[in-house]
Amino acid sequence: MRLRVALGGLLVVQLLVACGPASSRSTSPLASGSASSPTPLTVGLGYIPSVQFAQFYLAQKAGYYRDAGLQVTFQNKIDPDLVTLVGQGTIDVGISDGTSVIPAVSQGIPVRYVATIYAQFPNVVYAKQASGIKTAADLRGRKLGTPGKYGSSWIMLQALLSSAGLKPSDLDIELYPDFGQGAALAQGAVDAATGFINNEPVQLELSGTPSTVLRVDQAVPLPGNGLIAGATAISNKAPQLRAFIAATLRAMHEIEADPQKGLDAAIAAVPELGQDRRTQLAILKATIGTWSNDYTAAHGAGAIDPSAWAKTVTFMAGLSGSPISGTPPRVPQLVDTSLLPS
Amino acid sequence: MTRHVLRDFLPVVAVATGFVIAWKLLVVIGGYPIFILPPPEVVAARLVAAWRDGTIEPHVVTTLSEILLGFLIGSGLALVTGYALARSRLAERLLSPYLVAAQATPILALAPLIALWFGTGLASKVIICSLIVFFPITVATMVGVRSVDRQLLEVGRAFRATPLQVLTRLEIPGALPAIFGGIRVGATLAVIGAIIGEWAGGESGLGVLINLARGSLFDTPLLFATLVTIAALGVALYWLILVVERRLVGERG
Repeated sequence: MRLRVALGGLLVVQLLVACGPASSRSTSPLASGSASSPTPLTVGLGYIPSVQFAQFYLAQKAGYYRDAGLQVTFQNKIDPDLVTLVGQGTIDVGISDGTSVIPAVSQGIPVRYVATIYAQFPNVVYAKQASGIKTAADLRGRKLGTPGKYGSSWIMLQALLSSAGLKPSDLDIELYPDFGQGAALAQGAVDAATGFINNEPVQLELSGTPSTVLRVDQAVPLPGNGLIAGATAISNKAPQLRAFIAATLRAMHEIEADPQKGLDAAIAAVPELGQDRRTQLAILKATIGTWSNDYTAAHGAGAIDPSAWAKTVTFMAGLSGSPISGTPPRVPQLVDTSLLPS
Repeated sequence: MTRHVLRDFLPVVAVATGFVIAWKLLVVIGGYPIFILPPPEVVAARLVAAWRDGTIEPHVVTTLSEILLGFLIGSGLALVTGYALARSRLAERLLSPYLVAAQATPILALAPLIALWFGTGLASKVIICSLIVFFPITVATMVGVRSVDRQLLEVGRAFRATPLQVLTRLEIPGALPAIFGGIRVGATLAVIGAIIGEWAGGESGLGVLINLARGSLFDTPLLFATLVTIAALGVALYWLILVVERRLVGERG
């Protein structure tokens, strides 16, 4: 009887440990990777497979990851899940919003932003040209649609409004939690909406309606989406992560030179995208436009601007209902530039 | 009285204690970090802090208002519909397929549409709560009314009882145990309905707080504290109904 109880207890403990965080059981990838057996690397992309991830699809299709000794698997996740899974170690590296990394690190999630992908913040406010909205100041008293009062769009909106001396209460804000603000704008239910520079404004233009886009970069240089990695992956898989970043940046260079190449790779990975090549190409071109700014032009693709991060932390810490918990994290706690190409 | 309280609450406290111990053991043995699975004492501390600093209270008020309104409207309509279905074969033939189809349609898929049609304010949440509450109480009422002893009804009619007397003296008392079964299920579903409604859109409510804790603040202990609050709301509603049921039906309910 005692033996049974002891064996049962041992089994329970083993099960519990087996269910534990992936990071605590991961073996050294340096030991597992070799010329004959590529190192598996799980890569988290955004929620829906999209042409916006063309660089990853191209690097996979062209064999850049394979040549770097990597066996890359993509997983599509929403941002909050992705950040947590990267911190846990289930996903090695993923693309996430820079403004998510700051509250996540403040909560003790061990992630670092390791390469810039969107050098310009992709979240924007846009309106039909006919609305007469030309600057952030013109939003006063107007009706604006946004998914919710949280997340990167909300942070961007507050930054944009503060640059014009406005507060959200100076606008009539309508919430569209299922991202219906684009349709609301098209139908004239709202005067302006939050969206992504490479999505809603592009579609509005393609439908024949000229649009005005208000960007936040001049007001507060918020860090756009970039690659994030967990602390464990950075210490255990640094060479592989470095190789992954280099291969991804190589694909980005090629797509910048020839967007058609990126579109073909995206369609090969996600055949449904081929149903409307014109729209997808327009989205890809708008995406390419966000990949560089003055800082990356001077310091190389993927470079991380520490002063922009410091300004963002200061801005987010000063927001009413700031998402940052406790003492705001310092920039070295948020970013790791050691994996970027030298 | 003391014996009664001990008999009722001791097993509940014992199970809760066992659950907390198992939870703590899981965290310690599994080595989970706080952002994956916070230990119970961290969640308890966050729960107390969130109540003290006023984080949770306004959300509880919002969610509770939605639950109560949705439950009252949904259960009221369900009682009338359930009675009609029990007493009219025609009504049952006409309505049953649509009721079943409505129940089979996932409320998660309907919620964004309801928010689109009725806005992201109180109305959409009350409608979602009413819809989710409606079916179990309708079915329970129908089954309860049909299960009333036919001989008893015939005796009542033989004594020239009016339809109102038959309803209030025979049918309702006879159907109450089954109806309360549906009401108990409906009350817990109303909590789920309110949270689903808040996920489809809104500025306040425990569902919104879950989204904030998870998607914006990355505050897992607050997420758990919110879940504990939601569970406590559900249990409180269930017990409240149980108390009313015992008053009206007796211990067997």
